[in-house]
Amino acid sequence: MEDFTCPRCKTSKFQNPSLKMMVNVCGHGLCESCVDLLFLKGSGSCPECRIPLRRNNFRIQLFEDANVEKEVDIRKRVLRDFNKKEEDFGSLAEYNDYLEEVETIIYNLANNIDIVNTNKKIEQYKRDNREQILKSKGKLGREEYELEEMLEFEKQQTELRKQEIIMEETETKKKKIREKEALIDELMFSTENAKNIVETFAQQAKEAKEEEAKAAPAKKTHFSSGIQIGRQSQSTFLPVPAEDGPLFVYKPFVMQTDGPKLPNDEDVIIKGYTNHVRSENEQERAGGFRSNIACMRALQDAFSGLYHVRKAPVH
Amino acid sequence: MFSTSTQCKHWMFNSEEELNKLRENANLKHIQTYGRHINEAQRYDYFLTAEEEKIMVKRYEIRLRDFCKRFQPPMTRCVIGTAFHYFKRFYIHNSVMNHHPKEIMVTCIYLACKVEEFNVSIQQFVANLKGDREKATDIILNNELLLMEQLSFHLAIHNPFRPVEGLLIDIKTRCSLNDPERLRPGTEHFLERAFLTDVVLLYSPSQVALAAVLHAASKLQENLDSYVTDTLFGVDGRGKLEELIEAVRAIRSIVKMVDATPDRNQQKLLDKKLERCRNPENNPDSEIYKKRMQALLDEDDDLYQRISSRTDSLDNSALNMSVCASPEVA
Repeated sequence: MEDFTCPRCKTSKFQNPSLKMMVNVCGHGLCESCVDLLFLKGSGSCPECRIPLRRNNFRIQLFEDANVEKEVDIRKRVLRDFNKKEEDFGSLAEYNDYLEEVETIIYNLANNIDIVNTNKKIEQYKRDNREQILKSKGKLGREEYELEEMLEFEKQQTELRKQEIIMEETETKKKKIREKEALIDELMFSTENAKNIVETFAQQAKEAKEEEAKAAPAKKTHFSSGIQIGRQSQSTFLPVPAEDGPLFVYKPFVMQTDGPKLPNDEDVIIKGYTNHVRSENEQERAGGFRSNIACMRALQDAFSGLYHVRKAPVH
Repeated sequence: MFSTSTQCKHWMFNSEEELNKLRENANLKHIQTYGRHINEAQRYDYFLTAEEEKIMVKRYEIRLRDFCKRFQPPMTRCVIGTAFHYFKRFYIHNSVMNHHPKEIMVTCIYLACKVEEFNVSIQQFVANLKGDREKATDIILNNELLLMEQLSFHLAIHNPFRPVEGLLIDIKTRCSLNDPERLRPGTEHFLERAFLTDVVLLYSPSQVALAAVLHAASKLQENLDSYVTDTLFGVDGRGKLEELIEAVRAIRSIVKMVDATPDRNQQKLLDKKLERCRNPENNPDSEIYKKRMQALLDEDDDLYQRISSRTDSLDNSALNMSVCASPEVA
């Protein structure tokens, strides 16, 4: 995006940091000031491909590649008509075919392949499906519907909390006023020492505050856990295909040596077999190669197959 | 583990007779395929007999051993053993006249280098050969797949070398023999001779190794019999002992018979005979071979062309998808 230059006035982002590139349906870029200049009357032709353009079709270029911009534009336009939803199809395969067809149309338009036929096709589709298009425009897809629902739910929740907070505030205010009045009443009619009365009231107020502080966090957790996210409850995962057939039964590996019994791993060390092989050096030990493994392998090879008997000759 | 290997399942044979029978079949098959026009009586004037083939193979086994010993950088024993196995296996089901042992030999060694993780490049490898190295490279690489196919891709080989080590360790640990390392030269000599025979196709590598160790011991006037019967086999293996003794005896007698100095005059005659009767389709010097290779190359080109043209047409049809798709929309 940094090395963008306007093809007409050659201004670059470097010269003018506030440069804004605009793009129209043909996919050729133009900077904002050039657009102002060229399309003073509201319409004109693209300086590169001479296609007549309208000024209000210019948009700010979001993508570096103008072709992408063009494709996005075409996609928007095509999808306005090809607005069928998955629910409108009998099977997933049909829906996929439909999507592929739409992609082909978009690809063709974006890459100037067979424009005439493709446009004809779009027109044909529009004519054939006019009613359906209008209907679908109003109807929201399932996903949009879910989103909407979520938003609605959240709105309700915030509304509820707001009301609760207001209620609480008024409650505390009322309480304070009541306390104050009680204090004044007490001071007016009681025969006790005024100082004592003020102290006991202050004590009471303090206790009440502490109690509230204790209660508040408990209320909060209750609230946050109570919030339910609409999507989770609605969409479920595909069931994991259950595998039929008998369950796997583990059978411990039994070595078929076809030879005399081998010493086991400990015996190799205890009975001194390893005294007769080169002990491993440090690098070898780091790699996990212990001398008893090599020793064991040699013994295994020496013993296995000693009982080998040739098959009975076949006549 | 040998007992579960392909070597045990597919490449252990019952007897030398069985092996010879298979070799005769290979010989006969070749003659039936390529020698229809020659009558029975004169057949072996032109073609090699199974016996002659065997002599050829034996001779090339010696050459294989010598080549491997001279090889630079020096090879490990396992590579040599594996190459021997491949070479032997190949000529059980193939005739010498169809594929010249000189070519199969180097291919076997090259493949063995790879399988036994002895890392040499093909350039390094052919540097050990005399003559036209480029041609040798072509021969080796062309034959490699054929060789693997003939081995049914059973490439893992259990050589008797590690079993020897294992037995020596066991002897050192459980037997009171004085300085078992003395057995090593005799053992190695025995194994070297054993590879010139069919024992590795008849007996398990550990049996061959035990035979080698026992042979070396007897050469030194040592007696390991009580080690084998009491320590190695013990009580559990008593029933199997007889079979083993028989196997060891057989291995030792087969290896004793090996004749490592072939008759030079006979060799020359056989070489000439083979040069005349070998299958020209697999002879890199023949016109037919060159034509066949060219045909293969052309076929590859054709195939490539066909594939590329098909993808091209696919691409084109994909680009014209809108035209195909329009009736569905309408």
